[in-house]
Amino acid sequence: MSMTASLALTVPELILSVGALLLLLVAAFGGDGFARAIGWGAVALFAAAGFALTGPAGNGGPGFDGLYIADSFAAFAKLLIYIAAAVSVAVAPGFFARTGGGYRAEYPVLILLSGVGMGMMVSAGDLLTLYVGLELQSLSAYVLASFLRRDTRSAEAGLKYFVLGALASGILLYGISLLYGFTGTTLFAGISDSLAKGMGTGQMFGMVFVFAGLAFKISAVPFHMWTPDVYEGAPTPVTAFFASAPKVAGMALLLRVAIEAMGSGTDAWRQIVVFAALASTILGAVAAIGQTSMKRLLAYSSINNVGFALFGLAAGSAEGVAATMTYMAVYIAMTLGSFICVLQMRDRDGQPVETIASLSGLSRSRPGLAAAFAIFMFSLAGIPPLFGFWPKFLVFDALVRAGFWPLAMVGIATSVIGAFYYLKIVKTIYFDDPAPTPFAPAASKLEGGLITLAALAVSPLGYLAIPLLDATSMAAARALF
Amino acid sequence: MASVAAGYLPILLFLGVALVLSSAFVFLPMLVGRLTGTHQPNPEKLAEYECGFPAFEDSRAQFDVRFYLIAILFIIFDLEAAFLYPWAVSLGGIGFVGWLSMMIFLVELAVGFIYAWKKGALEWE
Repeated sequence: MSMTASLALTVPELILSVGALLLLLVAAFGGDGFARAIGWGAVALFAAAGFALTGPAGNGGPGFDGLYIADSFAAFAKLLIYIAAAVSVAVAPGFFARTGGGYRAEYPVLILLSGVGMGMMVSAGDLLTLYVGLELQSLSAYVLASFLRRDTRSAEAGLKYFVLGALASGILLYGISLLYGFTGTTLFAGISDSLAKGMGTGQMFGMVFVFAGLAFKISAVPFHMWTPDVYEGAPTPVTAFFASAPKVAGMALLLRVAIEAMGSGTDAWRQIVVFAALASTILGAVAAIGQTSMKRLLAYSSINNVGFALFGLAAGSAEGVAATMTYMAVYIAMTLGSFICVLQMRDRDGQPVETIASLSGLSRSRPGLAAAFAIFMFSLAGIPPLFGFWPKFLVFDALVRAGFWPLAMVGIATSVIGAFYYLKIVKTIYFDDPAPTPFAPAASKLEGGLITLAALAVSPLGYLAIPLLDATSMAAARALF
Repeated sequence: MASVAAGYLPILLFLGVALVLSSAFVFLPMLVGRLTGTHQPNPEKLAEYECGFPAFEDSRAQFDVRFYLIAILFIIFDLEAAFLYPWAVSLGGIGFVGWLSMMIFLVELAVGFIYAWKKGALEWE
């Protein structure tokens, strides 16, 4: 395949990276006065990159001799990533303006570069493409976590994320070096061929380290320890970003590595995925019960959701992978909606509040926001008729079909435990005495609009999208098998 | 029996990695604490390493952050030079695509340089 044809497959990444460099120059010469314009420029670039997926970049097959794969699986994941990233850029200026400035033109540029990295991650056909994409995403994320650098919690979050993330990258690289040493190639196709001849101990060690590194990036138990601290400390729009786009990218990457590179070693990695899925759902459900901060609670909720999504991979079938991708699609709508609701939580002076107790009696002071919160919480708990029920159903359906019904039973039990803390928030909002200090009235039409959109997507109206979602996620999953 | 147990090796390894990592987080700082000046201090242990800053002073003491900025920028261009040498040697073998890739890399580096310059990272005062 010629260089031009290969480059045509990477049009979304080209748009994002060239755009990010241009916007960086605008930021350097224009200063922070252009920050909002640069933000909208970034949203437009994400839209353009998403539109570029309709071309050869959407389903053009492998390019650069197999280093990069533009299939419908990558296109599905990229679309979710671009939507989540664009939303995190759009809601940021309002948040930073209310917390006393600090919004700078570098914020959208960093998210754009992170978007390039995530695109590379989901399109990786080689362990080195995977690593370069992952590092590009992570390095931008470390800076974003400490974006409010004068805030000690934000700085702490950035430092913690950096140290632990660097450690995880080291573990991942160690696994990659072992795989390369024992299979003689870094190409996914080559590794798959080598593993088909039987998995030796060295290859198994490599696989375990790669999975440990990737489990860290999607914050699956037992590598979740950084998540609550980083989510709590990082500025809320950044937390919304961390909980959505990189999660989708990491999950898609894990699916591709597991199925495409190690498909012949399914029995070996399934144990790891089953353990991580069970531990994540259980810990995510139990540890969230005692939380008092809304952001920490949502961090545990994301750990819990990652566990459910991993159940689909544990099934190891095309249905399972399709269920996981559907899960991630609905998950980003629920999680972005919840975090934009958290953005609305601020006192009369405009300062953000994060305690769950401050939500009490919200139904009387802000009925609209209270209803939105209730929809997201019910949906995260997976209670029908809300749309959060559907992906959970698909995941368990795939598990039962693959013969893992004991796993599905444990999963459903943890889902019930998880429902407790989601419902506790709804109870605080609707049945507790109003808090002495009510929230400031809604200030941003954009945030209100985005909350309404997300709430509509997870409302029973979401079921209308099932035929489309089923067809696209199934096509995406088939691309891997 | 042994073959049944061997089938569960991946999960054992996975949990082993998790256990080693989490115990490292707990015990490594304790061990490092034993080796540094806080444990049985003596003048040699408490002395700063070569050109470093005094380690046990008021944490609000001022130090010049400009040295770090210059050092970071230096590393970037240092690596660029280290990257250019093998590229120049093998340019005959990698052809036009190799040349173009390096030019793109240099343009990206130049964009970063312009950014750093405009932000005043190179100004000493």
